[in-house]
Amino acid sequence: MILLGIGVLSYWGTVRDEEDRAWVTHTLLVVEKLQTVRIDITQAETGQRGYMLTGQDRYLELYGAGVNQVRQDMKDLPDLISDNPREREATQLLDPLIAARLAELSDGIEVRKRSGLLAGVEAVAKGNIGERSMQQIAAQIGKMRRTEAQLLSRRLETAVASTRKIKVAIVCGNGLGILILSLAGLVIHRETGRLNRAKEELKQVNERLERRTGELSETNIELESFAYSVAHDLRAPLRHIAGYSNVALRDYGPKLDAEARRYLEKIADGAEKLGHLVDDLLSLSKVGLQELSLQHIQLDLLVHKVVSNLAPEYSGREIDWRIGKLFSVECDPGLMKQVFVNLLSNAVKYTGKREHAVIEVGDRMQDEERVIFVRDNGVGFEMQYAGKLFGVFQRLHKARDFEGTGVGLAIVQRIIRKHGGRIWAEAELDQGATFFFTPGSPEKNRSKQPEVPMKNGVTHAARS
Amino acid sequence: MPHGVEILLVDDSPEDVELTMRELRRHKLANDIQVAEDGAEALDFLFCRGPHKDRTFSHPPKLVLLDLKLPKVDGLEVLKAIRADERTKAIPVVILTSSKEQKDLIKGYNLGVSAYVQKPVDFMQFSEAIQQIGMFWMLTNQAPPAGAFVASNAKGV
Repeated sequence: MILLGIGVLSYWGTVRDEEDRAWVTHTLLVVEKLQTVRIDITQAETGQRGYMLTGQDRYLELYGAGVNQVRQDMKDLPDLISDNPREREATQLLDPLIAARLAELSDGIEVRKRSGLLAGVEAVAKGNIGERSMQQIAAQIGKMRRTEAQLLSRRLETAVASTRKIKVAIVCGNGLGILILSLAGLVIHRETGRLNRAKEELKQVNERLERRTGELSETNIELESFAYSVAHDLRAPLRHIAGYSNVALRDYGPKLDAEARRYLEKIADGAEKLGHLVDDLLSLSKVGLQELSLQHIQLDLLVHKVVSNLAPEYSGREIDWRIGKLFSVECDPGLMKQVFVNLLSNAVKYTGKREHAVIEVGDRMQDEERVIFVRDNGVGFEMQYAGKLFGVFQRLHKARDFEGTGVGLAIVQRIIRKHGGRIWAEAELDQGATFFFTPGSPEKNRSKQPEVPMKNGVTHAARS
Repeated sequence: MPHGVEILLVDDSPEDVELTMRELRRHKLANDIQVAEDGAEALDFLFCRGPHKDRTFSHPPKLVLLDLKLPKVDGLEVLKAIRADERTKAIPVVILTSSKEQKDLIKGYNLGVSAYVQKPVDFMQFSEAIQQIGMFWMLTNQAPPAGAFVASNAKGV
């Protein structure tokens, strides 16, 4: 923009400059023309005087040429000075003076021709009239030349000024351009500096973040290890409680009254439940600690195996198993088996009161994602509690109705997440439940550190 | 001594010892059980040292039931010592412990353990596990012949 401005300004300035110079030239031409008028009229005079004194024709020719030139000059002059009203007036004053002088000269020649040398000499001698008119002409021309000279100096000044202006404009413009470029350079330099600083800061933040992530995952591993060893150490005393209450029942049962036996049974049951809980917690923290060992697994084969392993849980019941042909996925086979064990034993458990239980395992594409589902026609649950489904120790059913530790689905979710997948559920009370999960792409998650920290419940259990 | 100690039970928990022995006896699987409450005691017994210096290598126990978490010398070290010596390396050793941590399993088998059993919390399952172990190693399995691995004979085998 600025460079364009400088260009336009320079061009305009140059045009102005040329005009100014043309005016200077013009003025010089006028001055020269005025000079020529004087020279030519002097020539006419010289010719006339020569003829008057000698009567020779060559002076007559000189005279004639001079007169012609003067006439021509006086014709040119108005054109040249048309730009200046004052000079026009001056020319109008000059015109009659010259005409008068030319007339005097012409009269002299007539006298010479008619009356001969003496009359001519006499005429020249008393030519003071002629001198006077010549002085008037010279004065007039001088005046005009002075006017033109003033004009010339003004025009020269204008021309010089406009040249100076152009120079100033170009210098200033270029200066401005350089300044702007320098400023731009400076700004770019500063911006680059800021960008570099920002990059540096980002790098530092990243490093901090990585360090922090490292620390966090270390803390995570420590927590998991802590939970693991606590759960592990809980097993021995539990085994003793369960063991001794059972031994007492076995060895002394017949000697005890019914109430004492019932108490001992409660102790044994409690220890047993706590044992399952501890075992589930161990599995949960093991999922976090364990590295995925990936294999391509044909899921339907895995599901069939799990179903037959679960047989003792549904012996004596009629269950309509509908297992479709499933994807082959890359996963940790042990952990994926755990997912199906937990989901399918839930399905078996919650269809326990159905006469005709249907448990379906299938897959489908949803938003270009592979989704696997486990559906049952059991008791279901209210969707408003769906958020609690995957929390540790969260249960949606009374222990009196359905037994369970509230850890199974937490384990499932942790395994799915560790594989980089998602799990969710849809259900309606008394209409069955469907669990959906995406197998994820464990390759992408291979480098991930152990899963999210434990929920409060687990930490509390570990601490108490 | 016609047949000496049949089982060496290495466990520092008196309750586990009592419950284990009770189950073994209930199924009439072991009449003579020696208990060691830490790894050092177990090694003294196996290598006929200290209080057991009158024992001989020619009558090793038919089975060692070995816990892993033990005071002084832990279970895996005991196992290592048993397998490292010509006179004891053939003795069947079953790890019976609370842990089923992968690294313990791997180390155990690497050191040549005969079997690895996790003590179940559930007493019924515990009882069953002890019964199965006792039945197999005392009745089903053929122990190495007495005296076969005593120092002088060992090289000839």
